[in-house]
Amino acid sequence: MKAMQERKDILQVRDIHKDFSGLKVLTGVDFEVKENEKHAIIGPNGAGKTTLFNIISGKYKPSSGSIIFKGEDISGRSPHALTRMKICRSFQMTNVFKELNVFENVRAGVRCDHGLRYNFLKRPGSIPEVNEKTEEILALVGLADAGETPARELSYGQQRALEIAVTLSTEPELILLDEPTAGMTREETIEAIKMIDKVTANRTLVIIEHDMDVVFSLADTISVLHNGSILVSGRPEEIREDQRVKDAYLGEEAG
Amino acid sequence: MINQRSFAQFLGWGIFVLIVGVVLPLGVRQYQVALLTEIIIFALFAVSYNLLLGYAGLLSFGHAMFFGVGAYTVAIVLNHISGLSFFGAVMISVMVTTVAGFAVGSLLLRHKGVPFALLTLAFNALFYAIATKWHSITGGDDGLSIRLPDINLGFAHLKTGDITVFYYITLLIIGSVILFCWYFTRTAMGQTVLLVRENEERMKFVGYNTNVSRLILFVFTGFLAGLAGSFYTLHYQFTSISAISIDMSTIVVLMVIIGGTGSFIGPILGACVYIYLQDFLSDITDRWPFIMGLIFIFMILYVPRGLSGLIDSFGERLRGRWHLRSSVEMEE
Repeated sequence: MKAMQERKDILQVRDIHKDFSGLKVLTGVDFEVKENEKHAIIGPNGAGKTTLFNIISGKYKPSSGSIIFKGEDISGRSPHALTRMKICRSFQMTNVFKELNVFENVRAGVRCDHGLRYNFLKRPGSIPEVNEKTEEILALVGLADAGETPARELSYGQQRALEIAVTLSTEPELILLDEPTAGMTREETIEAIKMIDKVTANRTLVIIEHDMDVVFSLADTISVLHNGSILVSGRPEEIREDQRVKDAYLGEEAG
Repeated sequence: MINQRSFAQFLGWGIFVLIVGVVLPLGVRQYQVALLTEIIIFALFAVSYNLLLGYAGLLSFGHAMFFGVGAYTVAIVLNHISGLSFFGAVMISVMVTTVAGFAVGSLLLRHKGVPFALLTLAFNALFYAIATKWHSITGGDDGLSIRLPDINLGFAHLKTGDITVFYYITLLIIGSVILFCWYFTRTAMGQTVLLVRENEERMKFVGYNTNVSRLILFVFTGFLAGLAGSFYTLHYQFTSISAISIDMSTIVVLMVIIGGTGSFIGPILGACVYIYLQDFLSDITDRWPFIMGLIFIFMILYVPRGLSGLIDSFGERLRGRWHLRSSVEMEE
């Protein structure tokens, strides 16, 4: 535990507010994520979890407050700039290139990371490391044999795996996963969590999750988002015992 | 693997088309050779337009602004700079078009869909107005004639005024640029364009600046249209207001839609058909625009995937029948 406390904060979220034309979705969110930590954000539906992710990943600009990544204020920067700073997110609803095959889906991010974005002369496969890296990521998420399959023909579980593979394709240091197990069966969820645990080794993970078993087995730290702000942050056992959390979240879930 | 196969395909097709292009003018009349030259020029114009419409999903109603800038620049520089060479004029012309593409593109890059289409139309109208009103430079409604400079390569002197010689120059230069466009669709940039159309949001989240990729593509297609436009002027040794008109923008839209936006070869077919049809019908009747209009309406209503789509589905049907037969034989 001591070693963990000495680790540096990689991400600091400071007093983030977000209004959508008068509707206050986030009302002052504060939390920190340490390097190589697995940090879960939980909270009842409508608590603003996805909005928070959209702000950290650059999809929305915050109404006020700041996001600090490795000591640098990154609030309001565009998604592509954040991706190049090694922050990458997944989507709750699978958001991939449906008409392309699995390999091409992942290679898009890998070649971007290798600087093959707008090149008029080189073909996407012209750098061997790009193809190797793509194969490596596909193997990590268990899609090694599905490279040639068009994304739209994948099973639901495979689509979710591809979603994570695309997120990993840019070699992120900070990975944001938005409900990666949404819509999965119990067995699929257990497999998915094993895979997520494996692929995020030595990286920092922030994950939004509904499944409490998943949260308590995967996360080092849990932050509970309730009514637009963080109710409490702490280690899983602390959160499990916290009366406010029981009232706000677990009670509601049980009821 | 996929890339290698398509690269071989690309070379194979390229060589085939070049051989046909080299042999074709040998057996036909001068008039036909001039028509072929026109087809090659318009094929590039249509291919450049399809990179916008078919590959990037951007509907422009103003592509003639670049064609026209290319056409006018060549005429203007040849009239004002004495001793300017053939290639010098073409170079200046495509440079000016590229700058125009960058200027217009920077103002358009955040727009897509209907606003993009309307803005391109408005810009085309603006360029058209400049060409009509700036009489001292553009000649207004009278247009501009040029004296076509010959090409001196040192070891050979090419008389560009000769229809066949000009055809071969066009085939070589425009033909190679069209081949490069084909290659382009398989490069990193070409694939980026396709991926942005497919899912722009995800492209942003894997690190692409999609505004930049749209701008680069827009400038590139403007450059290509400008090159086609400059050869249009060189071919006719004249340029008129029609080169930069909304009509010209409509013609390229029609060529691409008739040929089919779904393939690289479609717009080339579209250019061939459009120009031959126009030539054929205008020989028979003065009412040719009416008949062409009817044909286009029919095509858009009943052959929405265009000629290349028609060929594809015909090919699939043939293959399907063959598959069916062979599978029946197997069962027996």
